[in-house]
Amino acid sequence: MVSVIVPVTERPEPLDDLYRELAAPLRSAGRTFEFIFVTEPWGRELATGLAALAAEGEPIRALLTGQVVGETAQIKVALSQCRGEIVVIHPAYRRIEPSALTTLIARVESGADVATARRWPRRDSWINRLQTRAFHRLIVGLGAGQIQDIGSGVRVARRDVLREIPLYGDFSRFLPLAAQREGYLVEEVAVPQHPQERGARVYSPGVYLRRLIDVVGLVFLLRFTEKPLRFFGLTGALLAATGSLILLVLGLQRLAGEELADRPLLLLGLLLVVLGLQSIALGLIGEIIVHLHASQRRTYRIAGRPSS
Amino acid sequence: MQDEVDLPDVQLSIVIPLYNEAESVGPLVEAVRSALADHSAWELVLVDDGSRDRTVAIATELAAADPRIRLVPLARNYGQTPAMQAGFDEARGRIVVSMDGDLQNDPLDIPRVVAKLEEGYDLVAGYRERRQDKLLSRKVPSWIANRIIRRITGVDIRDNGCSLKGYRRELLDRIYLYSDMHRFIPAVAAATAGARISEIPVRHHARRFGQSKYGLSRIAKVLADLLTITMIRSFRERPLALFAAGAAGATALSAAFAVAALAVMLRHGVTPERMVVLPGAAILWLGLAVYLLMLGLVGEIALRESRPAPHALPLVRETFG
Repeated sequence: MVSVIVPVTERPEPLDDLYRELAAPLRSAGRTFEFIFVTEPWGRELATGLAALAAEGEPIRALLTGQVVGETAQIKVALSQCRGEIVVIHPAYRRIEPSALTTLIARVESGADVATARRWPRRDSWINRLQTRAFHRLIVGLGAGQIQDIGSGVRVARRDVLREIPLYGDFSRFLPLAAQREGYLVEEVAVPQHPQERGARVYSPGVYLRRLIDVVGLVFLLRFTEKPLRFFGLTGALLAATGSLILLVLGLQRLAGEELADRPLLLLGLLLVVLGLQSIALGLIGEIIVHLHASQRRTYRIAGRPSS
Repeated sequence: MQDEVDLPDVQLSIVIPLYNEAESVGPLVEAVRSALADHSAWELVLVDDGSRDRTVAIATELAAADPRIRLVPLARNYGQTPAMQAGFDEARGRIVVSMDGDLQNDPLDIPRVVAKLEEGYDLVAGYRERRQDKLLSRKVPSWIANRIIRRITGVDIRDNGCSLKGYRRELLDRIYLYSDMHRFIPAVAAATAGARISEIPVRHHARRFGQSKYGLSRIAKVLADLLTITMIRSFRERPLALFAAGAAGATALSAAFAVAALAVMLRHGVTPERMVVLPGAAILWLGLAVYLLMLGLVGEIALRESRPAPHALPLVRETFG
């Protein structure tokens, strides 16, 4: 059975149309499936078309959260309820040619742990393409992973794999990166873009800033979770070294007879040293916390064996 | 997934992490087998750390042919520490011996490590007496690193980098390796479990196959790890003490700047409103002191809130009574 999870986030398409489009290829491939739409309070009316379909016997379930909970929580709650061994996560708008879903599912059935769609070739506006490209550069540049089109939002995976990938905050967007990090085999599959995904998507600057922070946060978590002192210690050492250099120069000038009391540069040097020490101290606290929880952490996963 | 063959009472487990060792694994298994010909209840745990060559295929065959050999395939390349920890977790022996997968260690030394452990130690480290490696890129950095590690951790081990080590199960139950801790297992064992540690000279062969998997660029990492281990050894039960000491230092500096400010004011007759830099510096250090104290409290909270590890007590043995 295939479970299709649709977290309904901003600017959704008419959900009943989306359902018909996505269900058609699954049905003609002879698969049993269920759809789970997760809606937040603001989108309550969006589900009315679905209710009519469900009344006609279509395998649709609609979950309504009590508050705005965000995409990650929407996905997680649907995951906890879904029944299919294979799970499709599809955004509430058109991204890929619906028939390509079966291609992605086939990849998972032939061994991939996660198959993520790459919209290729692109047919939409150059602005969207530029964004995808820039995001890819950013992810590669920060060493977070190797996914070309992280924004496609269409992922297929085995349910137990998805349940084991730690997801929180806004990280559902980066699910393939987290999966790679956990040691799962992630395949990015080029599939045709949906012919109707054309409009240029431009967000407010705040959204881009949030995405940037997300990526930086993700990279930090992926690389330094187990060794906070490597990050904070190095940062602190650099700050303190810069400060010490300033202080050294001032010290030499003092020996040459200059008065220190009216040199604001002294404050800068001291501030840098203090900041450096703060950073190192923070890293040490991080190490204490990591050490205290070391016995409960699993640092590896054995292939073919569930971890918990 | 291979079948778990249930060997009753495995006494000795050999743990070998493998990463792209397709050529070595066959001869290695053979060497272990012949070295342990006199022992009965042993097992060999091969941990594949996400190799991309034929290591897994070869190891799978070897494991299928001999029930004493088990393959633990990790899902990806995690690095040596998690691979080692995986091997320790899977090993069932009362005594566990770890070694490298590149044939530079000699399985013939395993019985000697075991014999040394039987003398009453929790950890026996091998040291490479006539090390067959490049002088400048391997031996010199390692010599320096070992001196630093010995000095800082106070654990008297000549060769931390030698993978051939033997452990008692009771010790392994008390240490949890993460990050790159495999380099400091003796230091960690001493710091967190109060282990009795000894060392013996072991053979060392030149590399026959494959590439060395270490680089030179790890000094900063090693230093950060050392700082961590030292801190954990001294302060894991009382983080506030560490941070309070730092706060005391910062307070002293703050006082020094305050005195300097006063001195300048009195000597040169400067009015307080024209004094910025020296009082500013005093305030800065005072701020650091407060910050460190608060951080120390956070450390205490973290300590109280953590569930104690299942084997948190140090290793002891009854001497009489």
